[in-house]
Amino acid sequence: MSSNEAKSVTLIFQNRVCTLIQRFQSWVRLDSGNLSGGQQLAVKYFSVAVILFFAQIVFGLLAAIQFIAPGFLYEILDFNVNRMVHINAMVVWMLYGFMGSIYWLLEDESGSDIVGLKWGNLAFWVLTGAVTLVVLVYLFIQIGSGTDSSLWFINEGREYIEAPRWADIGIVAVMLVFFYNVVATFSKGKWSGIAGVLTLDLVALAGLYLAGMFYMTNITHDQYWWWWVIHLWVEATWEVLVGVIMAWSLMKLLGVRRKIVQTWLYIEVALMFGSGILGLGHHYFWIGTPEYWLTIGGFFSALEPIPLVAMVVHAVYDSGVHAFKTGNHPALAWIIAHAFGNFFGAGVWGFMHTLPQINLYTHGTQWSASHGHLAFFGAYATINIAFFYLAIQHWRGDVWMAGGSRNAWRWKWALGLLNAGVMGMTIALLIAGYEQSFIERAMEGSTWGGYFSAQNHPSFQNAMVWRLVWGLVTFAGLVLLIWDLLTIGKEETRKAEVIAQAEG
Amino acid sequence: MIEPVALKDFFITFFSSALIIMAGAAYALLFAWSKIHTNPRIKQCAYLSYIVLVIAVAELTRAANFSGYWLLISFAMVIGYFFAPIGIWHLCVKTHDDRTTITKRGEDR
Repeated sequence: MSSNEAKSVTLIFQNRVCTLIQRFQSWVRLDSGNLSGGQQLAVKYFSVAVILFFAQIVFGLLAAIQFIAPGFLYEILDFNVNRMVHINAMVVWMLYGFMGSIYWLLEDESGSDIVGLKWGNLAFWVLTGAVTLVVLVYLFIQIGSGTDSSLWFINEGREYIEAPRWADIGIVAVMLVFFYNVVATFSKGKWSGIAGVLTLDLVALAGLYLAGMFYMTNITHDQYWWWWVIHLWVEATWEVLVGVIMAWSLMKLLGVRRKIVQTWLYIEVALMFGSGILGLGHHYFWIGTPEYWLTIGGFFSALEPIPLVAMVVHAVYDSGVHAFKTGNHPALAWIIAHAFGNFFGAGVWGFMHTLPQINLYTHGTQWSASHGHLAFFGAYATINIAFFYLAIQHWRGDVWMAGGSRNAWRWKWALGLLNAGVMGMTIALLIAGYEQSFIERAMEGSTWGGYFSAQNHPSFQNAMVWRLVWGLVTFAGLVLLIWDLLTIGKEETRKAEVIAQAEG
Repeated sequence: MIEPVALKDFFITFFSSALIIMAGAAYALLFAWSKIHTNPRIKQCAYLSYIVLVIAVAELTRAANFSGYWLLISFAMVIGYFFAPIGIWHLCVKTHDDRTTITKRGEDR
């Protein structure tokens, strides 16, 4: 092909892509003129979050099939790769959702334009480019044994934080831009209690990630620091980040007074950090740390559900005393799903297997996966989805979004299918984990043979079939959710009711 | 030394742990509800939930072989889960600064 022909083919391709984008834009009828600079940046984060959510479910389904048919895609797309992409896509889409939510609320909360918006946009493209490249390397290049250079360019080998070292450094750089934007914008505008908690939490969030970059040859030391990132991110800093997002959205959705949400945010931070930090010890059973860590972990794990109990009391108080109105029913429904999911996933499913007397048997079995599925979905995915609905409403010009609207069945069914699907997977994995703990660990003493006995037991295999079935239900819910996000409020002409925020 | 759960106590350990959190939440919910609606039956149900929680804690203590300083966990749960909803309720009232509204609703009934 000559260079002229190549140029014309490229031009035709570019024109087609542009036409497709224009058609898509006219179909979804979203008006970016409704959005401020910070909100435009936020919706970029939300868009990538939804794509990664889709990838998470697809790769999860592939891995679920491989549990039942181990030969499926063998040496083409192996189980270890599917599982890794499934988990990392989940971690990264949560982060994209959180960052988008913070950028969304930043200008409103500070009363100022985002200071480093250009840097924020640049950081978004750098992060997205890096995530794409890392996933492509996982899928197509990650073959064969590793060398020292693999740590830098292929895979760092730490479960859940497998990003190679160059991407680790890139992530820290992007987080520094994010941190600068948050602090500088609040400094230029006005500080609030929410702003203070957010700033301190971002310091802890970035600081903990650095703990995951130590490389040690002693596996106990390595696991010790690895757990700092995994446990403290999820059970301390992410929970507080979600508290910040929740506090702001309660003011916007329900008109709750600032004084109330800020007071509860401080209490939540105290309870979360008070119980969550030392609850870290409940992970330390198998890694050779001193026994006092298990006692400390057990004690504080027993107290970890207290913030969730506080939430129950406060919710009853609010719903009993005040008549709530909201202008965005899907967002409120997802926030309610968050409250239930967080309580069951983190509270009930968490405490069932954290005490070392039982964790000896359950650690790292499908029991952990059962807890993980419900806790991550309940505590984090739900609140991000609530924010997607808040964003899409504003993007469409603050249109009416209520339970009785046209095509409201879509968000209701998406809500039902996603929650039922995740709950179904949780129960199926609980049964599989029970079998595994019982047969592999308790009866056969954690031997290699015990592992295979448990994997081949009919109860385990049946549970894994049911996990796949409920995974497909979850996938159906996700497809419906994406369809709904693209279309909800498109033909709506009524404006949403403005919820006045109570003073004080 | 930590003594692991016996094989026969597997299910009861999982079940009693889950029941502690569920009964704790039910007690908190019913306690808060009894403050809004002054119906003595709701309060009785709240205390019944708390009794379930105490039984679950006792069963977990037995099944998970708590002894020595491990018993502190049982005491922390029995005492902490009783007083937490009461304390949180008072915080709710203070933060909302809305006591008259609740009293009035209570008196209407």
